[in-house]
Amino acid sequence: MNLISQRREVGEFRKRYKWMALVAVLFFGVLVVRAFQMEVLEYRRWSGVAVENITKTIVLPATRGVIRDDHGRVVAANRPAYNVFITPQLIDMDRDVQRIATLMGLTAAQRDEFRHRLETVPDRRRTHQIEMFSDVTRDQLAALETHQTELPGVDVVAVPVRTYPFGSLAAHAIGYLNEINADDLARLPGQGYRAGDTIGRSGLEKAWEGYLRGRRGYRRVLVDVRGRSHGNSPGTETRVEPVPGRDIKLTLDMELMRTIERAFRSQPAGAAVVVDVHTGSVRALYSKPSYDLNEMSGRLTEERAAEIRDNQFRPLIDKTIYETYYPASTFKVFGALAALGDSILTPANHLDCPGYYEFGGRRFLCSELRGHGDTDMRRALVQSCNVYFYDLARQVGLDRLSRYARDFGLGEPTGIGINTESRGEIPDYAWYARRYGNQFRGGFTLNEGIGQGNAKVTVMQLAMAYAAIANGGTLYYPQLVEQVASPDGQQAEDFAPRVRRRVNVPRENLTYVIDGLYGVVNDPLGTAYDARILDGVPMAGKTGTAQVARHVAREDEDPRNTDYLSRSNAWFAGFAPAGDPEVVIVVIVEHGGGGGRTAAPIALQILQEYLGGGMPAHAAPHAVAQPVRTSRRPGAGAH
Amino acid sequence: MAIARGLRDQFDWPLFVTVAAIAVIGVTNLYSATSAAGPAFTDMYIQQIYWLTLGSAVAVLVVAIDYRFLERHAWTAYGVGIVLLLLVFLLARNIRGSQRWIPIGSFSLQPSELMKIFIIIALAKYLHNDPKTEGRTLKDLVVPFAILALPMALILKQPDLGTATMLAFIFGTIMVLTQLKLRSLLLLVGAFVVSAPLTWTYLLKDYQRERFESFWYQLRGDSQQNLLDSGWHAHQSMVAIGSGGFWGKGFLRGTQNQHHFLPDSHSDFPFAVWAEEHGFAGVLLLLGLYLFLTVWGLKIASQAKDRFGAVLAVGVSAMFFWQTVINIGMVMGMLPVVGVTLPLFSYGGSSVLTTMTGVGFLMNISMRRFHF
Repeated sequence: MNLISQRREVGEFRKRYKWMALVAVLFFGVLVVRAFQMEVLEYRRWSGVAVENITKTIVLPATRGVIRDDHGRVVAANRPAYNVFITPQLIDMDRDVQRIATLMGLTAAQRDEFRHRLETVPDRRRTHQIEMFSDVTRDQLAALETHQTELPGVDVVAVPVRTYPFGSLAAHAIGYLNEINADDLARLPGQGYRAGDTIGRSGLEKAWEGYLRGRRGYRRVLVDVRGRSHGNSPGTETRVEPVPGRDIKLTLDMELMRTIERAFRSQPAGAAVVVDVHTGSVRALYSKPSYDLNEMSGRLTEERAAEIRDNQFRPLIDKTIYETYYPASTFKVFGALAALGDSILTPANHLDCPGYYEFGGRRFLCSELRGHGDTDMRRALVQSCNVYFYDLARQVGLDRLSRYARDFGLGEPTGIGINTESRGEIPDYAWYARRYGNQFRGGFTLNEGIGQGNAKVTVMQLAMAYAAIANGGTLYYPQLVEQVASPDGQQAEDFAPRVRRRVNVPRENLTYVIDGLYGVVNDPLGTAYDARILDGVPMAGKTGTAQVARHVAREDEDPRNTDYLSRSNAWFAGFAPAGDPEVVIVVIVEHGGGGGRTAAPIALQILQEYLGGGMPAHAAPHAVAQPVRTSRRPGAGAH
Repeated sequence: MAIARGLRDQFDWPLFVTVAAIAVIGVTNLYSATSAAGPAFTDMYIQQIYWLTLGSAVAVLVVAIDYRFLERHAWTAYGVGIVLLLLVFLLARNIRGSQRWIPIGSFSLQPSELMKIFIIIALAKYLHNDPKTEGRTLKDLVVPFAILALPMALILKQPDLGTATMLAFIFGTIMVLTQLKLRSLLLLVGAFVVSAPLTWTYLLKDYQRERFESFWYQLRGDSQQNLLDSGWHAHQSMVAIGSGGFWGKGFLRGTQNQHHFLPDSHSDFPFAVWAEEHGFAGVLLLLGLYLFLTVWGLKIASQAKDRFGAVLAVGVSAMFFWQTVINIGMVMGMLPVVGVTLPLFSYGGSSVLTTMTGVGFLMNISMRRFHF
């Protein structure tokens, strides 16, 4: 082949090289553009992913503060729960699954579910630790730890869980925790909550969440693709120590709570409050029935939650500050103070009680249908004479009556600062005008005089009001938290009693009324005389029997239940020692029948055990209340 | 055979410098890519230097022999390649589900890599002997197709989709060089369209289909969680590149690489290591070198004094070009993950030898372009 022909043949290709080079330049151009897009335009995004890839943040949880009672008894604390994490990659599906199931004592169904969960772990997460069992028992823990070396894919990790040594005692006040949900996370932005955290749901756990929870710390480490620590030379690791939550010391006395629990053992439902009259410190806050805080803080099953919710004695209701009741005869002291305070009546005024009071063409019945005969104010308090207080209310007038009651804090929240507090109602003319227009009748005022009108109070309100009577007129805010301190005891913050106001009432009027209340317990005719404790701490107080809304029996209802629900609520509000009061107690027994018969024995027993260190040896067994067997005929009864 | 006096003056310095630069960068990058890996990998860059040395010797040898000598023995070379491919099935060990390597002592030879060179020689020989000025028809393509089909079938059987694809691309490029009649071209395109679904259904293996599918998910922007393993690898490679930024994270400082997020960083993904540690600037430099190599190869082809040399040069350039574009395209998430190495960047004896032989050819043709 000669030179000329060769050159010509090469010429067949010649013009194509340029096109080929151009195509090559175009392809490389695309690569350059792509590289520019990724490394320059999208740099932030990819860089973020790369940093995320190699950084693992290990949360260092903060220990939640411990809650203690007035005597330092632990009311809420933390215990370790052991959760089992499994790394699927390191598990032999045939041998190890059965082995773990045997060690943990799983049933066949549990084992199969466990196997299924292991099998469905996505490939990419098979090298990760995955939580398989939470809060395993001590036996399971021991079995797993004994065989730890043979099961490299199994890790047991301790996490703190909340524990409540007193179970259901003071449950409403203490409150419980559970896992935070999406709504909370949306509602509390920027407060450092994350999915999986627990948060206070009720009571002090909720109200003092900010103090109790502390601040989590974290450890940021560099990891490789398998999540293993990688290249953490000293100094590269970031570590922020957690700040433990503050410990809280309560004013509550859990031993007193136990005493109340015992005193209430024959009654299915009710509430009791004990308050220090000189400080407003709440010593007991008891609502029955209650629920176990450990159960509420754990993983409550749907069935169990429904059981608690549908219980006819309403365990979820806080009967000390949320439920409101007619005050009945416990209200009479405020009428008495109003009449004395505005000099409408004096201790010398008396009337004859025939067992009824005629007004506006109607007869208003007394608690004692045979009548009390000649009755002055003291005797009216001692025997709880309705007729005297009908007349008193008529003379004092609705507005004055309600003003005095409100002065003592009734009909408005006490400011206890936990849960939802009801304000109750102390009606005046304006209230009736709103409610009934111009249909007001004088009878309304009469019924308000014996606490059976439209007045409604909480147990706590009544306790604070009676405390003000006992201490000479100082209305306190109820105080539950005495001190907040860091766990090492440094940085303690004490909370002083807070006075809400001085009630404008002359000392001698209070003394007169207190003397009447002393008579209730100690005069042979007194409504609580039968419940008195011989040789015990001297006590004073007022009984009350509050009629309840008429109960219409449901079909197929047990007649005994119908009977129970028709019974009045039994009150006792009092204080001790009578001469120099220290604490006030208010007890309500729902559907307990008569206040003197049911509530007074409970209240007096509690006070005696609390202040007197126990019941006197010869105390009569009748001092312990028994369920009322006969129901009184419904009538205008308040004694 | 001594290099004739005067040839020395014709030494192609730009080619030499470019190849040397890529090789040096490649070894350095390999050092980084394997530095964090286990002890089995840490001396890989040393081995790569041995291979480069051996490859250089082969290149010198190739340069020393006038390529026209090779023209006379082209069919023999092709035959040797086919025999080696057949030997694979007799001798090869099964590594990760495919048989590609013939063990020779402590080394492994990958005949499919070498076949790239042999097929270029065979096609050059065929076109050299069969000049056409009128434009080729389908009938004229029967023999070239046969030259391609035999080794390609053997390679697909291994299976090694990446190398088989490379052969097809090299073949296609060489054929574009010749004049094809328009009708023939259309027919070819039609045939491809018809055969693609058949190939998908019958020829591809499950894992190969998965790679394409996961690439498709990736293009649609499906979340990382849905990606299959190969898609996850591509994703991590993109993270490495993107996080490099303009100037890169610095030598040995690529976190994706050092923390083992890059799979096969020494074989298929060394470019990602480079892009992560040296950024867009480094990418520009490297792409510039590869582009120069390709265009320079085409220039050598255009100046070749005969058809054999021209086709040979185009074939070698096409080999460099397609390997570069497909590997980098794959690493940057623009193409599905197929096992195509990056010349002089990926670890591998056979790959280095093949590349250096190709470089030797280019040098050979370049130096003899004025010798008649």
